[in-house]
Amino acid sequence: MSNLVIPNELVAPLFVPSTFANRASVEGMLARLRKDYPLSKAEVPGYDPHWIVTKYNDVREVSRLDDIFHSGDRSKTVVSQVAEQMMRDYSGGQPHIFRTLVHMDKPDHTAYRDVTKDTFMPQNIAKLEGSIRETVRRYIEKMEKFGNEMDFATEISMLLPLEVICTLIGLPKEDHPMMLRLTQWFLSYADPDLCRPGSNITDPEQQIKTWQIVYDEFKNYYGAVIKDRQGCPRHDIASIIANGKVNGCPMDERSMISYFVIASTAGHDTTAATIANGMWTLAKDPELLTRLQADPSLIPGFVEECIRWTCPAVAFVRSAAQDYELSGRQIKKGDLLYISYLSANRDEEIFEDAHVFKADRKPNRHIGFSYGSHICVGQHLARLELRVFWEEIIPRLKTLSMAGEGKWQDSEFVCGPKYVPIRYEFN
Amino acid sequence: MSHQEYKKWQCATCGEIYDEELGAPDEGIAPGTRFEDIPDTWMCPNCGASKSDFAIYVG
Repeated sequence: MSNLVIPNELVAPLFVPSTFANRASVEGMLARLRKDYPLSKAEVPGYDPHWIVTKYNDVREVSRLDDIFHSGDRSKTVVSQVAEQMMRDYSGGQPHIFRTLVHMDKPDHTAYRDVTKDTFMPQNIAKLEGSIRETVRRYIEKMEKFGNEMDFATEISMLLPLEVICTLIGLPKEDHPMMLRLTQWFLSYADPDLCRPGSNITDPEQQIKTWQIVYDEFKNYYGAVIKDRQGCPRHDIASIIANGKVNGCPMDERSMISYFVIASTAGHDTTAATIANGMWTLAKDPELLTRLQADPSLIPGFVEECIRWTCPAVAFVRSAAQDYELSGRQIKKGDLLYISYLSANRDEEIFEDAHVFKADRKPNRHIGFSYGSHICVGQHLARLELRVFWEEIIPRLKTLSMAGEGKWQDSEFVCGPKYVPIRYEFN
Repeated sequence: MSHQEYKKWQCATCGEIYDEELGAPDEGIAPGTRFEDIPDTWMCPNCGASKSDFAIYVG
C-alpha cells in the first residue's frame, strides 16, 4: 500500500485556481499522484482533509455509487473551511449557494433531472442538427470576414455554444453577452481576465461573495422569464423549467433559479473550452489537420479525444454517507473525496499513450462528461455541436497555426483555454 | 424459421443505445447478442447504469 498522506507541497496547488493556468504542470502533478499516492489524503491547512481520487476506476466507482458518495451534503467544489461556512451563512445552512442538479442526491436529483431529460436525449437533440449547422456556418463566415488572425477563444468558441444554448433556453440575442459574463464570474471567479470586476481574487471569501452576487443576478433576470413562461409557455427550455413539476409540485425558488443557472452556464462553457482546445491542438499539429481532411470519418473520434483531452469539468467533491472500502482504503462516513476527472482521463493504466492526443483512439471510454447518474445531461448536445463545427470548418482550412501563445484559465473547477490566437487561411 | 429482427435498447439515464446487431465489442459483447442474453451484471458503458435501466429504444 502506498503512502496515506500526500505532502502538502505536492497536493496543495490542486486547490489553487492559478495552478491550472499551467496545464503541463497540472498534468505532471496528477501523474505523480496517480503513481505515488493513488487514493491518498490531502491535509492542507485551512481545508478539511480530502481523499484525492486520481485513478480512473476509483473515480468511476465513486461517481457511480451516488447513494454512498453524496453530492449534496458538502460543497461540490474544493473550498476552504472559511468559505464553506460563508456558504452556509448565505444560504440558510446549506453547503452551497446554488442548488443545481450537480448539488443534489436521490431522490431529488432523479426527479429534477427528469424535468429536462427527454429534451436532451440523443434522438431529440439530433433534430437540432440543421439549425446548429446554420449557426456554425455563420461563425465560420465571421472568421472569413475577420481576416487571417484572431483570438479564436474570444471571437468564436466562447460565443457559438453560448448562442446555441441561449437560443434553446429561449433568451433574446441581446441577453447572451450577459449570460457569458455571469458564467465567467461564476466558473472563472479567480481568473484575473474573466472574474467579476472589482472582486479581490486573492481573498478566498470573495469566491463565495461572487457566487452569491451571481445567484442574485440570475434570480433578478430569470424571475421575469419564469413569470412570462408560466403565463404563456413556448417551445423552449425556459418554459419546460418554469413549468416543471417535481413529484407533482412546483420547484422551490432556489432550485428553479439554480436549474436556469446550470443550463445557462454549464450548457456552453464546457463545450466552448473543448472547441477552443481542439483548435489549439489542431493549430499545433498540421499533420492531424491533413489526416482529418483526407478522412472525415475520423471526426467523431477526434471529438471524443478533444473531450478526453480537455476535460473541462476538472474535479468535483463528494462526501461519504457511510463507511466504504475503496481500493483497499477505508473511507469513513463523513470523509470528503476530491475526484479528478482530468486525472482519470490521463490514467496510463486505462489509456494507451494517455499523454498523446489520438484522433483514432479506440476504445475511448473517457469520463469527460462524468459518470453515474450525474453524467452531463447535455452531453449529446455538446457532441453534436462539436461534430458539426469540425465537419464544417475542417474542409475549409487551407492553413492553420498558432499566432502566439495560448493561455488556460486560472480555474480549479471548470477550466478551459481563455486565449487561442490563431493564424489561418480558408480554401 | 423466421429471423427475429434486431432491437435497440436505450439507457434511461444517459441515452446510450445498445444495438443488438452491433453488440458492444469494446465491452466484450459480440455483434448479434440479444439484450436478454447480456449478463445481468452488465452496466451501461457510458454511465454505469444497471442493465435494468435500459428500455426498448423509441427513435
